[in-house]
Amino acid sequence: MNSEILEKIKEECRKLPDDISYIVGFVRKRGEPREVLKVLKPDEVDRMSFSPLSFNNPARIVMDLMKSDGKIAVIAKGCDARALKQLEKEEKIERERLYIIGVSCPGVIDYRKFRNAVKFRLPEIESVELVGDEVIVKANGEEQRIPFSEVIFENCLYCEQPTPKDYDVLIGEPREGKLDFSDIEEFEKLDREERWSYWMEVFSKCIRCHACRQVCPLCYCEECLVDPSNLAVSPMTPAEEKAAYPRVLGKTVNASDNMVYHLIRVLHHAGRCAGCGECERACPMELPLLKLERKLKKVVYEVFNYSPDEEIPFLSKLDILPEG
Amino acid sequence: MEFDPKIITFACNWCSYAGADLAGTSRLKYPDNVKIIRVMCSGMVNPGWVLRAFRQGADGVVIAGCHPGDCHYTVGNYYAKKRYILLKELMKFVGFDGERFKLLWASASEGKLFAEEMTAFTQKIKEMGPQEKLRRKIE
Repeated sequence: MNSEILEKIKEECRKLPDDISYIVGFVRKRGEPREVLKVLKPDEVDRMSFSPLSFNNPARIVMDLMKSDGKIAVIAKGCDARALKQLEKEEKIERERLYIIGVSCPGVIDYRKFRNAVKFRLPEIESVELVGDEVIVKANGEEQRIPFSEVIFENCLYCEQPTPKDYDVLIGEPREGKLDFSDIEEFEKLDREERWSYWMEVFSKCIRCHACRQVCPLCYCEECLVDPSNLAVSPMTPAEEKAAYPRVLGKTVNASDNMVYHLIRVLHHAGRCAGCGECERACPMELPLLKLERKLKKVVYEVFNYSPDEEIPFLSKLDILPEG
Repeated sequence: MEFDPKIITFACNWCSYAGADLAGTSRLKYPDNVKIIRVMCSGMVNPGWVLRAFRQGADGVVIAGCHPGDCHYTVGNYYAKKRYILLKELMKFVGFDGERFKLLWASASEGKLFAEEMTAFTQKIKEMGPQEKLRRKIE
């Protein structure tokens, strides 16, 4: 029951330590049944909301807030806590300034599937509740029951840590996750040409809006390799200046260049990806971007035998290379 | 006309480039399809460069560096290997021919090995035919 969870969250937020200056929590979006992230003052606890539609990852906002003074409380699901942990490993956030209210997460709803499944108009929906295996949507005094399995965000089926590992308080019963790469193994059984045509079709849709990079909590580089250089080239531009312009990536928007972009983007997340799925949710063309991330996760587990829980970041750990 | 592949080799300054040099000075022959780009360390080869080489029409790409433990910068080649494995696995996953991408350890004294490996790799690429998947096409 998420109204119980919400009550508990509010209760915890009311008895936070005195030195907390911000709470990063979910607030119901006006005109839509979902929640959006908001930075709240400790006296604004009553505005908070929580439901299976609170799917966003607060790690990026927390990272930005670290520039200000004061301690921060954050509501974190399993994947959010993983992202926070990773940022902590990379010294982007200070754990001492963070108060994590962990929420044991049964999985979140895929908003796209939800919009298709629900029979009410979105602004009319009063509440969305997860009870057992069913999502109960209430609007206009009516109620609609949707099986949770029909609207669950696909990546949540493979979640290995639904309960945060690192928290100050935990809400809800701890859940067991499992390591499951069955979807990736299934895809790998296809032969090479089939895989190639599948991905070419996927990437031919990509419009290179870079939303997947922008929304990812781990893509925080200030200077990104895919950013187009807007520096003009004139006859007076010296060769060494031209050589310093980013040239790794073609600027055209065709399937192969898009593929190169996505491969490079994903490679930078090897052993770091929290699996929150923000990239897939942000994608306006609805591309299956998590498949690539999950493939890399599989390689990191199987070839390097590295688990993201370890304290040393994957990229700087060198004694895990296979022989030969 | 026989297929004339283009093979880009990123050779590290301290071992593989010297190894290729040794192959030259000892008058060992290896195919002229191999174009060597000298880099300071195999660990500085950005996976983006490899993809860009394929994009610009390379039929094969080799990263050549020092043997593990021999790196001039202590650990550069370990990073190279890590990136190589990740990129190769991803390439295979998306259906690109991963065999076109190779990692080679060749020290400065291994001119013979360098020449042999390059001949074998060129032969393999010749059998595989031209790389058309990522090559930039005129559309």
